[in-house]
Amino acid sequence: MTQFLQQLINGLSIGSVYALMAVGYSLVYSIMNFSNFAHGGVIMLGAYFGYYYLTGAGLPFPVAFIGAALTTCLLAVIIERGAYKPLRERKAPFLYFIISAMGTSIFLENMVIATIGPTFRTYPEVLSRTPIQIGSVSIGRLDLAMFIISAVCLALLVFFIDHTKMGKAIQATAYNIKASALMGINTDLVIIIVFALGGFFAGIAGVLFGMKYTVYPQIGIITNKSFIAAVFGGLGSLPGAVIGSILLGVIETITAGYFSSQYRDLIAFVLLVVVLIFRPRGLMGKVTEDKA
Amino acid sequence: MLKKSLALLLICLMILTLALSGCSKPATEQQGGGETTAEEDVIKVGWMGSLTGDQAVWGQCELNTVKMLFEEINAKGGVLGGKKLEVIGYDTKGDPQEAVNVAKRLTGQDKVVAIIGPNASGSAIPIAPVLEEAKVPDIATVATNPKVTVQDGKVKPFNFRVCFIDPYQGAVAAGYGYDVLGFRKAAILYDVADDYSQGLTEFFEQYFVAKGGTIVAKEAFKFGDVDFRPQLSKIKEANPDVLFLPIFFKEAALIANQARELGITVPLMGGDGLPSEQLFTMAKDAVQGTYIVNHVDYDDPDVQDLKNRYRNKYGKELELNGYLAHDAVVLLIDAIERAGVADPVKITEALETADVQGVTGRIKIGKDTHNPEGKEAAIVKIEGDKYVFQQKYSAQLD
Repeated sequence: MTQFLQQLINGLSIGSVYALMAVGYSLVYSIMNFSNFAHGGVIMLGAYFGYYYLTGAGLPFPVAFIGAALTTCLLAVIIERGAYKPLRERKAPFLYFIISAMGTSIFLENMVIATIGPTFRTYPEVLSRTPIQIGSVSIGRLDLAMFIISAVCLALLVFFIDHTKMGKAIQATAYNIKASALMGINTDLVIIIVFALGGFFAGIAGVLFGMKYTVYPQIGIITNKSFIAAVFGGLGSLPGAVIGSILLGVIETITAGYFSSQYRDLIAFVLLVVVLIFRPRGLMGKVTEDKA
Repeated sequence: MLKKSLALLLICLMILTLALSGCSKPATEQQGGGETTAEEDVIKVGWMGSLTGDQAVWGQCELNTVKMLFEEINAKGGVLGGKKLEVIGYDTKGDPQEAVNVAKRLTGQDKVVAIIGPNASGSAIPIAPVLEEAKVPDIATVATNPKVTVQDGKVKPFNFRVCFIDPYQGAVAAGYGYDVLGFRKAAILYDVADDYSQGLTEFFEQYFVAKGGTIVAKEAFKFGDVDFRPQLSKIKEANPDVLFLPIFFKEAALIANQARELGITVPLMGGDGLPSEQLFTMAKDAVQGTYIVNHVDYDDPDVQDLKNRYRNKYGKELELNGYLAHDAVVLLIDAIERAGVADPVKITEALETADVQGVTGRIKIGKDTHNPEGKEAAIVKIEGDKYVFQQKYSAQLD
């Protein structure tokens, strides 16, 4: 029982990291209908920005944290302007967007390897590593902080989408971008806002990830998992991304804890494929026809 | 039309980004100190290893060490009565496929007389056919898997190494843990996708069980993983006396932190993949009391000179790989001098009968194994931010 509770906590904590990363994929997909693979690169840069604001510039943690999120926010918008807007204006097929996204992602990773260097870096200890003990179950302080930060950010995002004018515009644009434009919504602005939001979340996810683990150019390997979680939950649906991520985290830990850690990825991903066979749009995805 | 050109542009961009960092830049450096030396007065030696990725810290250190030693040798008049040494280093990225490409480039294009490295067994094993075809010897530095030099009972003619091997390392860890430290129940957490880790796990398990101990948990992860709490929670339930980590320092540091967070307080134990300055940056408190089977005793008076020379030149601490790269250079220079000519086949013959004193111990190459025979391991324990030497320990392999 103790082990089960501990494994559940492990799963929730891993899942909440996936969730923060997955929302970025879902947000962009809901509007633009393509998978923004550059998101992983932005997350990775978020981790580096946070690291340098903390150690290089010596900023206090909250400032460095928000600073990193704002920097990636700007970066995501720049990527949109540079890599996607020209394609949008030419009404390029979705495949081109994906190629452009993958190119950006490879570019960002290699840029970091070439300029900052390939070795990993370690965040200074911001929160004590001594865990909180409840009975025989231990909860890491950082995990708890991550879980709370993720939850608050996601709640704020849902509030923003449901209760503000811009949020409504995003929903309308997600539903039908052409009709929204005809109704006088500035869809170009909506797209900027969506990328800015995605970038902001990428920064938060990157810094939290860097604090918990380390910072290295190949963080994208993990973001692939969160992308899969987003697909599993239903691309384009925010609650779907969150639920898919948490489920993936829990499935992974339970598989590793109770069946076999050697076969963890194998079992977890076979399970996901099976779900997608019976429910191709994911757990909570909208019904779509041709989406790349 | 516009679309087509756009697609072309995108493809070009992708190829460019790949090309920018995709091909390893040759880290060549003329060691002659600016003077132009005629082609035949230069002996080219290849080096390969990780210059990118998790093990870049080690690869960089190896290449630096080789460069430093070659510069020193050249300043003293070179080898074979005045010939200068030049190192040509390429990045394997820790990727076996890339290692094969690098071996081909070094032997085919650069025409080196011998290769030093790679440090990883996974990269050292697949290059054998390339070496055999080109008839160029290779001296691996820290590649400890048995298959690096011996496959299916047959010695690979052109593969040598200066380090001890995994069965030996596993036997030392098991023997020291059981006999000296009194551990009876061991848990193992290893990398399922890595030759080194799998080999060490296998041999540790074999010798620990043979001594009468039990493996209470054997859990795996995959290269690239960063969260090990599911496995560690399971290990905690199994209540071991020691947690054996036959892996590399990055994962070991993350595991140590996460294990302590989950309330696992038992000592950790590991092989030669653990020692690194990075271990302290990442997990200083969590790795206290860890026992490591190592190649070298860092406090040995014999190694201080090398350590200081490296620190003075590069302003960094010498990593474990540097010591073995040093011994590989010593072994190679000895072989070149005894061969009397910079010819790969003659050097290979000389390597087979080599018997030199390196900083990590006496290196007497066994003709049937191409391994240094009877090399003792140094057991070190982490105390504060030091690797404190415990004792030399040798195990009987049967």
